[in-house]
Amino acid sequence: MSATTTAGGRVREFVSAAADGWTRERFGVLGALGLILLAFGPSFQVYLFTDFLVVALFALGFNLLYGYTGLLSFGHGLFYAGGAYGVAIVLRDLGPVFADIVGSGISPLLTFVVGGVVGLALVVGVAVPVGWLSVRLEEIYFALITLAFGMLGYSLIIQDPAGLTNGTDGIIVLLGSVDIGGSSFRIGARRTYYALSVVVVLAATYGAWRVVNSPFGTVCKAIRESPDRASALGIDVRHHRWMTFILSAAIVGIAGVLRAGLAGVASPGLTHWSTSAIAVIATVIGGATYFSGPIVGAFVFLYIRWAISRFPTLEAYWELFFGALLIAVVLYFKQGTVGGLLLLRDRLLGDDGDGGETDAGGDGEAPDGDGDSGGAGATVPDDETRTDRGDDS
Amino acid sequence: MSLPSLVPLIGVADVVIGLSLGSRLFLIAVGLSLIFGVLGVLNFAHGGFYMLGAYVTLAVVTGLIDNFWIAAVAGALAVGVVGATIEFAAIRPLYDRVDADLDQLIVTFGFVLVIHEAVRFIWGSGSYSIDPPDVFNFSVSLGGSTFSAYRLVVIGLAIAVLAGLWLFITRTYFGSLVRGTSSDREMASMLGVDVPRLYTGVFFLGSVLAGLGGALSAPLQSTSPALGDQVIIDAFIVVVIGGLGSMSGAFVGAMLIGMMQSLGPQFISAGSIAIPFLAMVIVLLFRPEGLFGGIGE
Repeated sequence: MSATTTAGGRVREFVSAAADGWTRERFGVLGALGLILLAFGPSFQVYLFTDFLVVALFALGFNLLYGYTGLLSFGHGLFYAGGAYGVAIVLRDLGPVFADIVGSGISPLLTFVVGGVVGLALVVGVAVPVGWLSVRLEEIYFALITLAFGMLGYSLIIQDPAGLTNGTDGIIVLLGSVDIGGSSFRIGARRTYYALSVVVVLAATYGAWRVVNSPFGTVCKAIRESPDRASALGIDVRHHRWMTFILSAAIVGIAGVLRAGLAGVASPGLTHWSTSAIAVIATVIGGATYFSGPIVGAFVFLYIRWAISRFPTLEAYWELFFGALLIAVVLYFKQGTVGGLLLLRDRLLGDDGDGGETDAGGDGEAPDGDGDSGGAGATVPDDETRTDRGDDS
Repeated sequence: MSLPSLVPLIGVADVVIGLSLGSRLFLIAVGLSLIFGVLGVLNFAHGGFYMLGAYVTLAVVTGLIDNFWIAAVAGALAVGVVGATIEFAAIRPLYDRVDADLDQLIVTFGFVLVIHEAVRFIWGSGSYSIDPPDVFNFSVSLGGSTFSAYRLVVIGLAIAVLAGLWLFITRTYFGSLVRGTSSDREMASMLGVDVPRLYTGVFFLGSVLAGLGGALSAPLQSTSPALGDQVIIDAFIVVVIGGLGSMSGAFVGAMLIGMMQSLGPQFISAGSIAIPFLAMVIVLLFRPEGLFGGIGE
């Protein structure tokens, strides 16, 4: 699309000039600065942003499976809860043991780290067999079996046959204080926990991004586009889906560990299908075909919900808004928010496609969001009215 | 546990309650199964339709006409209209997509949220209950236990619906169109069947059944906005066990789950609510077509 009107041309010129030199590095630095500045913001905003980070990681893990291999899971709450319960059980049962071994100074931190690792191991241990069984099915049947596994986990946690999960009440998570050389800080304090979450979420996101852009990730995308064709090329579709399932569950498990510390409790509701649905909502709203889609979607989900909660009359009905938004996105704009932002960028910049990444909806923490959408950016302007299959060209 | 000590535990009332729970599940599940069998759409909002049927019936009984049967029919038809509108406006545009199944599932999930909040907006978050219609508002004593006569009516109506649907699908012209379209949509379309209209019609019928289920069970339970979310999962279990698309399977599956809900807690103390989900997993893995009959039965 070339500039037709002078006003439009001027806008485009201005935006191009402004976008000039916006390299990935500069975005990284700006994003990091933003994250540091936020730590000094109002306490509630720090909490809200930490919440966003955790939900973003949850949705990101879910989308490795949905966006990259085309399998829609309605049971990822199982792994979210797995991480939360793993860390909660370790903190409850092993906290005193660790205090005896390493002294009470750093034992809370050590216990939390060990708990996180145990939670992750637990999740992987569950995901290996559950995934192996689930990837035998596809489409609706996959959605149903993951839903069944999730609700199976929910039932077991509620009824607590082994006496581990404390039934419907869940397990209180007490993070404690760390004393090192006279200075002491609470792990659960909002700003401390925010810093911890930023580090963990960024590391996990980076790891996922590396996998997605590896040969393995490319194969996954081939499977999403056409399982039959991938299979004809000699790819073991089922094995790849299984491996992606495990990776996806592990990422969600890490989010679950962080959720337990943030919420202060590991509750059975985390396993319920309505929790799994949060990942679906965030991912679809953000745009499932983009790596940054679930992150942006989680941002939209949490901040719009917060904005709605400012109006007491509307607060009770925030689900209505997301239900309607979900329907509208699936029907009319499958690329979601990220697709919309990329479309906007291409409009403003003309059609040069390879400009800097301006889709910083996730506050710069997903600067290379369109690692897999290079092609999409170019094709989107053609089918802006009613596209029906995301960005597959 | 020896057998003689177990037998007295199962009262007639438990069986009747189990069958009536199964009957209401059947009315949801059969519509869900019918819609999946013909349209290939798994309607997540079907539990919401059931809840809506209960609410409209309550509203009509308490606000307009004090006749339960008229109110139940009004509730069922209102839900049918809502369902047909949703199919026409939000599901029809998706049939030709590559991943239509999942998009439709997500869209109908969007309607779960919308219906839930709309019901809360109109009727509030409290729960309502009504008495059974006067004619059947008495207790029956049988084999040493008592239960409401209305439960027997619900069971009878569920059996009547199964028989009626079976006759409709196998013996009428419209039924043959439904069967034909369900087994080969393109061929039916080429032979002159107006497939989109037929789809809307089937979705209407399935929604009416869910609404009827909600209407009939309004006197048996308290109706609250959480009702839809609770029953949809049970309905999923039923249609999976019975076979997605199978009507007789939905009946057997619903009765099985209903009996399990009624009798289960007496036999298995721990893990009893996990058993239906375990059954669902096992059926999906080993008999994805369901235990009873295949598609279109």
